[in-house]
Amino acid sequence: MDADIDELREKYLNQPFDEKTFYMDPAVTIEYARLCGETAGRFLDRDHPDFQTPPTYIASLSGRRSLPIDFPRFGIGMDAGKGVECLNPVRPGSTLTGRTHLHDIYTKTGRSGRMVFVVSRLEFFDENGLHLANSDSRSVIREK
Amino acid sequence: MTISKTISKIMDVEFGANLPAFEPDTSLEIVKTFATLIGWDGARFRDHEAARKEGLAGAMVPGVLSQGYLVAMIHQWAPMAEIKAIDTVFRAPVIADEPHSITGVVTDINEDEGLVEIDLTVANEKGETRVFGTASVSLPA
Repeated sequence: MDADIDELREKYLNQPFDEKTFYMDPAVTIEYARLCGETAGRFLDRDHPDFQTPPTYIASLSGRRSLPIDFPRFGIGMDAGKGVECLNPVRPGSTLTGRTHLHDIYTKTGRSGRMVFVVSRLEFFDENGLHLANSDSRSVIREK
Repeated sequence: MTISKTISKIMDVEFGANLPAFEPDTSLEIVKTFATLIGWDGARFRDHEAARKEGLAGAMVPGVLSQGYLVAMIHQWAPMAEIKAIDTVFRAPVIADEPHSITGVVTDINEDEGLVEIDLTVANEKGETRVFGTASVSLPA
């Protein structure tokens, strides 16, 4: 691991830097499911006994910041991928609390130079503090 | 090997099985509606000409919509499947109004834990991979 990346990891990983609440609007989550082509009733029918948001719905939600305010700018960041981890169903009609931290920082070196990957994790909790899901946004920054 | 029947239990899953073909609706109308729904206002999701001015081949499908297509395919194959995790890499833009196909292959089965691993791909008509990823899903015993 490069020394500068080690320093960044030491300083920023697992330090929460943002918190925001999100209302799970049933009309929105149903439409989201429909547009994705979902066919399972538990995502489309609000009267279903196991009515829930589509598993990847949370990936469309963003906190107020995706990086700590003092995080260094290496270059232009691009969306490199998204990951979702589902721990418990997310119920439409509920309000979630989302807390963001940096989950990983690493590099890959290619022909065009070093690229820095930053994984920002948004953790979602229900009104009782139950951890429901994680949404990871991976950005790649090609150094100037 | 392509499975056409619906899967309801993990014992019905075969290693190496292809999930049934899934052709997502990538029409610009769907993409625009989706972008509006999630509050993504960028012209690149709404207008081919505006997207071309940004250097794209046309209006693009948001990555989270591609991810949603992948999950929808899994639920079409196994309606009771619970997504435990899905990780996707956006390798290249998925262009709206262009036909794409989605494929899935069962790469691991853990009957003790009730988990199945699936490799996922979104490809365009030329067979070029635009999005790929992996999902871990649980199924009843």
